[in-house]
Amino acid sequence: MLKIKNLHASVEDTKILKGLNLEVKSGEVHAIMGPNGSGKSTLASVIAGREDYDVTDGEINFQGTDLGELGPEERAREGIFLAFQYPVEIPGVSTTNFMKTAVNQIRESKGEKPLDAVAFLKLMKEKMKLVNIRQDLLSRSINDGFSGGEKKRNEIFQMAMLNPKLSILDETDSGLDIDALKIVSNGVNALKSKENATVVVTHYQRLLDYIVPDFVHVLMDGKIVKSGDKNLALELEEKGYDWIKPGN
Amino acid sequence: MNITKDLKKLVSKEEDINLKNKKTDILDSLDLTYSLQKEEYKYTPLLKNVEKKFDLLKENKDQISQKSYEEVAKFVNSKFYLISVDGYFKSELSNIPPKVKIKKYSELEREEKDTFENMYQKHDDSKSDFFSSLNSIIHEDCLTISVDSNTVLKEHITIININENYDVNNYRKMIFCDKGSEISIFERFINLKSDENFSSSVTEIYQAENSKLNYYSTQDFKENYHYNSINVFQKRDSVSNFFTVSFSGSIVRNNLNICLHDKSCYTNMYGFYAMSDKSLIDNHTSVDHVDENSLSNEHYKGIMGGRSNGVFNGKIFVRKKAQKTNAFQSNNNIILSDKSKVNTKPQLEIWADDVKCSHGCTVGQMDDDAIFYLMSRGISRKDSISLLLSAFSSEIIEKITDEKMKSLFTELIKKQLEKFNDE
Repeated sequence: MLKIKNLHASVEDTKILKGLNLEVKSGEVHAIMGPNGSGKSTLASVIAGREDYDVTDGEINFQGTDLGELGPEERAREGIFLAFQYPVEIPGVSTTNFMKTAVNQIRESKGEKPLDAVAFLKLMKEKMKLVNIRQDLLSRSINDGFSGGEKKRNEIFQMAMLNPKLSILDETDSGLDIDALKIVSNGVNALKSKENATVVVTHYQRLLDYIVPDFVHVLMDGKIVKSGDKNLALELEEKGYDWIKPGN
Repeated sequence: MNITKDLKKLVSKEEDINLKNKKTDILDSLDLTYSLQKEEYKYTPLLKNVEKKFDLLKENKDQISQKSYEEVAKFVNSKFYLISVDGYFKSELSNIPPKVKIKKYSELEREEKDTFENMYQKHDDSKSDFFSSLNSIIHEDCLTISVDSNTVLKEHITIININENYDVNNYRKMIFCDKGSEISIFERFINLKSDENFSSSVTEIYQAENSKLNYYSTQDFKENYHYNSINVFQKRDSVSNFFTVSFSGSIVRNNLNICLHDKSCYTNMYGFYAMSDKSLIDNHTSVDHVDENSLSNEHYKGIMGGRSNGVFNGKIFVRKKAQKTNAFQSNNNIILSDKSKVNTKPQLEIWADDVKCSHGCTVGQMDDDAIFYLMSRGISRKDSISLLLSAFSSEIIEKITDEKMKSLFTELIKKQLEKFNDE
């Protein structure tokens, strides 16, 4: 599904990703771990198409399409979803209106008819249950005045609405208490299928008790330096990152 | 000033003694008023432009309008409407509401005259703004609107001012809201003349105790020059709400001067402007808190595209007697192009010591994080930007409680924001 080859990316002349390789197949869950500043969030943003980053070398191939020239909205329409580490607050635009615009623009790009109000409401009601989010929260401005947990739940709600093929969860667990973490993880797990894939970017092993990865990768200094199964995460939790040296 | 001599001639021809005295007063302080221009129009070369382009003192005739109501109907969204052409009120084209007295000043009966004679040029800015001085001396007739005590008009009255035959038009009106009355006015300036022109309008409003006024105003201009001065004098427990919306015009200057003369007066001043091309919008407002426990709340927002210029200047005065005043002001701008500009300035003078006042101005760009967030959900760049811009404007529009006016302004703003799509 996703093939990243020798990816180099920089922001304002600072090199952050330095030859990263990663392959994700349908039905898989990958966890990307690593110390602060190793490039985890950059990787997530680069896959989603954030324009602040320059891809200087390498390629990202998604289902046979080179993403290089595609803008963030085109990537989203191809089926890529990024759950933000810091969801943006947008006063004046309700989540409902936002999602209606997004769902219909994605449908339109596939040549499908837009959903009418009734069908949209039905879809929304169904997905709201997944993350236990209330209607009144969705009628309010996007993330405006939301608590940390509400923001993350809103991200997973949006993911459910858009039904992506590849979901990238960027530090979705940070700042969540255990109850919120469970709700968010349950939502993610319920959306998992053989046809889609999930990349979890995280700092802490704790999340991986709830969203169990098939593969764990360690990202250090812009490269994946070690890969393994879920036990690698436990080992990292115990020993920290120092025992892995880039280049080993 | 060459113009002074001609103005003197005009004043000497005035037959109404009361008006003649008032106009002479204005003439006497004209030099001082003129000198204030430099500061008050620092970024707005209105006078330079209109002096060069137009003969400001040319007299307009009260002609029979060649335009039928059908031509202006699309600008009217209410049952009752008042139409003025080239500065003259046209009762034959208007539909006057039954509960409100509407007449030209020159046609008032003796007993009706007292109120307006007293009001005329009393609280306007003709001694501090040169354009109001000119309007006061030059304008031909004045529209008077009088709302009796406890009269409540549910639906708003639309006032349409049409520039039809002349390139300089002076509009003038007075509104008297008696005790406990409630009225809404939507004023529009439109152009049925294709040449460049200049229109000037001065409005004086007196709000008696416990009266309530909603006032919406906008212009549908392209390459024209416009001066609009609204002056309000409020008595105890009265409430006023202003919505000033501007979209285009070579140079548009809006003055809004509010005097909260008594205890517990309220005013809300909201403004929105979205400018493109080479237009210039200048909003100058002032609130004078004279007595205790009054509140003024001001919020202006603007979006500047193309090579447009924006000016905002908000004065707040809190007199020594005006303890427990609440006065809030803010002006937020988004600049879309590197060729557009905004000059914004809050100006507070507070002499009382037990007050709550705040002010703030921002000039910023579109938020890239927000654009990326919306795009990452599959929304095109163009639509992401227009979602964000309409969200920016919604903070002002949401304050309009009248559904009809709200949907009209929403529609007008949507149309204007579409112009920014290519930037």
